[in-house]
Amino acid sequence: MFFKQKDTNEVNEASVLKALSNVQDPDLRKDIVTLGFIKNLKIKGGDVSFNVELTTPACPVKDQLKEECLTRVKAIPGVTTVNIEMTSNVRSTSTGGNRISLPSVRNVIAVASGKGGVGKSTVTINLVAALAKTGARVGLLDADIYGPSIPLMLGTKERPTQNETRIFPVVKNGIKIMSMGFLVPENQPVIWRGPMVHGALTQFLTQVEWGELDYLLIDMPPGTGDAQLTISQNAPLSGAIIVTTPQEVSLLDARKGLMMFQSVNVPILGVIENMAGFYVPGTDSIVDIFGKGGGARIAQEMKVPFLGSVPIDPQVTVCGDKGTPIVDAHPDSKVAFVFRTLAGSVAAQLSMLQAQASGNFKPMALQWQ
Amino acid sequence: MAIDVIPVELMQVGPLELGIRWSDGHQSKYAVRNIRLNCHCANCVDEWTREVRVKSEHIPADIKPRKIESLGRYAFSITWSDGHDTGIFTFEQLRALCECEACKPR
Repeated sequence: MFFKQKDTNEVNEASVLKALSNVQDPDLRKDIVTLGFIKNLKIKGGDVSFNVELTTPACPVKDQLKEECLTRVKAIPGVTTVNIEMTSNVRSTSTGGNRISLPSVRNVIAVASGKGGVGKSTVTINLVAALAKTGARVGLLDADIYGPSIPLMLGTKERPTQNETRIFPVVKNGIKIMSMGFLVPENQPVIWRGPMVHGALTQFLTQVEWGELDYLLIDMPPGTGDAQLTISQNAPLSGAIIVTTPQEVSLLDARKGLMMFQSVNVPILGVIENMAGFYVPGTDSIVDIFGKGGGARIAQEMKVPFLGSVPIDPQVTVCGDKGTPIVDAHPDSKVAFVFRTLAGSVAAQLSMLQAQASGNFKPMALQWQ
Repeated sequence: MAIDVIPVELMQVGPLELGIRWSDGHQSKYAVRNIRLNCHCANCVDEWTREVRVKSEHIPADIKPRKIESLGRYAFSITWSDGHDTGIFTFEQLRALCECEACKPR
């Protein structure tokens, strides 16, 4: 009495998906099958291959997820080889907006501080450079009309090209950049009243051909005035990052900057504390030049995420002045590692926002009959 | 403070009546003229003295919006039939102005 027993070791789609449904995305708190991350699943005998499509190429747990998928699928009886490709498709949290919509830009992030001199531009260029390195398509809008520092810090003096209707951003190391600094000579001050600033920023948002971008970061000027109002009323913002230094005088203004974004209902992606302690060269001891823990304190007080602290490293300044962000110039340095981690956290915050209803704000319009 | 309730639907419910459905499920009703009278723009309320300059007798009885559109993520901008278009009506302000039966006797 021989009959062919059904081969219980047969690998099929169901068994692979079942195994993968044990893998959780730690940020989105759901399993990766439910989240729709598994694409292009192919099974040929014992050979299994699939893509894991993340919500950002800057995913901080990319390697960990890959490893876990590998372990889970390998454990299925009958599986001989597993081939996983990690891909990404950044989802959109940009609001569209009635006045200005940037449909080809998936996430628009304002980097602000309240107080000047806390290192907003330094943080911004390094976040942008770190995101670009992961393969994300990124842009940087320098909204500081009076003191544009992005061209110097990214080492480009090119002039943007234009045709009759569109302005094309300058591209450096894969980053699309627009700044007032490209349009006026370096030693010439811009002496304008508010309405002119409003006009220039509106033009940057409407006439610049950004193309397809995963992340557009806006380096905001200090304060809570004309530029901030123009951006928060007109730019389809996904969220804002607040940069502060640890001492109270900076927190005072950071709090105001943060409250301004809250009052215009822009989600706060988190607080970044810059200039947090100085590692004495050749030692492991830290000198807290500007105090300690202020960033975490304000984040807790305002009930927003604390993204992390960037220590003081003179190399950061040197790199900025030379026009190459430290994440590119010294990718192995401690600070570069911190910036890459922060970029991953920002991307993760946006992915989480997208998964919530509040991250999908839709602008409305009503024509009266 | 962060804004926790936002409009999810904007509708014209009568020739001079606006409806807003909110994210908490609340349905608001407004006589549109009352919204116009509560405009906080610098032309309607003096920025320094807070003196209310918009007077009921200056506003036509049949004033109505021509167009209402989102402004950022926190407000609506309304263009009125008399051409006035400088007002910004925040979600908070509109929620407070709700004239529905539950909200009215406040």
